[in-house]
Amino acid sequence: MATTTATLTLSSDMLSSPISISASSILMKAGVTEGLELIEMGRGTIAEADGSKTAEFGLPTALGADKAAKLFLVNKATDPTYYIDIDLHDTNVGRLYAGDWMFIPWGMNDTASELVIEAEPAGATCPYEFVLLQEPQTLVAHS
Amino acid sequence: MATTASISITSDITESVPFSVNAEMTMYQAGTTLDLEETTGLAQRTFSGNTTQVTLIDVSATPVTAAAGGHKVYIRNTGTDKTKGFKVFLADATDDTEEIGTLYGQDWMLMPWLASDANEDIMVQPSSTEKMTIEYAVFHQ
Repeated sequence: MATTTATLTLSSDMLSSPISISASSILMKAGVTEGLELIEMGRGTIAEADGSKTAEFGLPTALGADKAAKLFLVNKATDPTYYIDIDLHDTNVGRLYAGDWMFIPWGMNDTASELVIEAEPAGATCPYEFVLLQEPQTLVAHS
Repeated sequence: MATTASISITSDITESVPFSVNAEMTMYQAGTTLDLEETTGLAQRTFSGNTTQVTLIDVSATPVTAAAGGHKVYIRNTGTDKTKGFKVFLADATDDTEEIGTLYGQDWMLMPWLASDANEDIMVQPSSTEKMTIEYAVFHQ
């Protein structure tokens, strides 16, 4: 079985008692103890002038309902004012500012699961990197 | 008052091509290099007896600066059972919900959160009526 492990180390000294979080998970297929089997990774660049784009990583119709996938996405811009605005279909998730990353489970159930990205503000260009870990996809029929 | 997060992903999915990812970030206020200064602290909720969708993090009950954009949310299923999970949703503008994905036992997530209005609550739905626990924290402006 393939073993994929995602580990988080988070610390904050905001409080008088510092917050320290260590979390680690072996990433499995949905509801079973079999490891994920597919990695897709890459790098791209999106500019504010491009407008709102469906992210090229992972077609939301490919996996089907109730399957497991995890997405890592990082904004590699260095200007702290540049951010990638992220929508899940038509709902705004949040903003990845320069250097920010996110790691989420991704339902990818259907076309309404699409992730949409947009560079902001005016004039911004954001390089980004992603890793998508998921269950095997059904092979497409011979054409 | 720095808040930092690092991620490490390792995998042997591709035996012939070693794979690892490492990244770090410092959580800043939107568009600046000023540290985030507020947090809800680490909280925990336990569910038992139903599988209904509930609000985990309520925008209106969290003192975030609306639409400031620097907020981050951490959520983890503290259970060890990989067959049981919490579906995580974002409420949307029509008070419907968008499914983000499922956190199975030990799975965690860290994501930005706009929290611009009350329609962006974070909801969860346990898959089992058995006792399930989730921990979470918001780091915000």
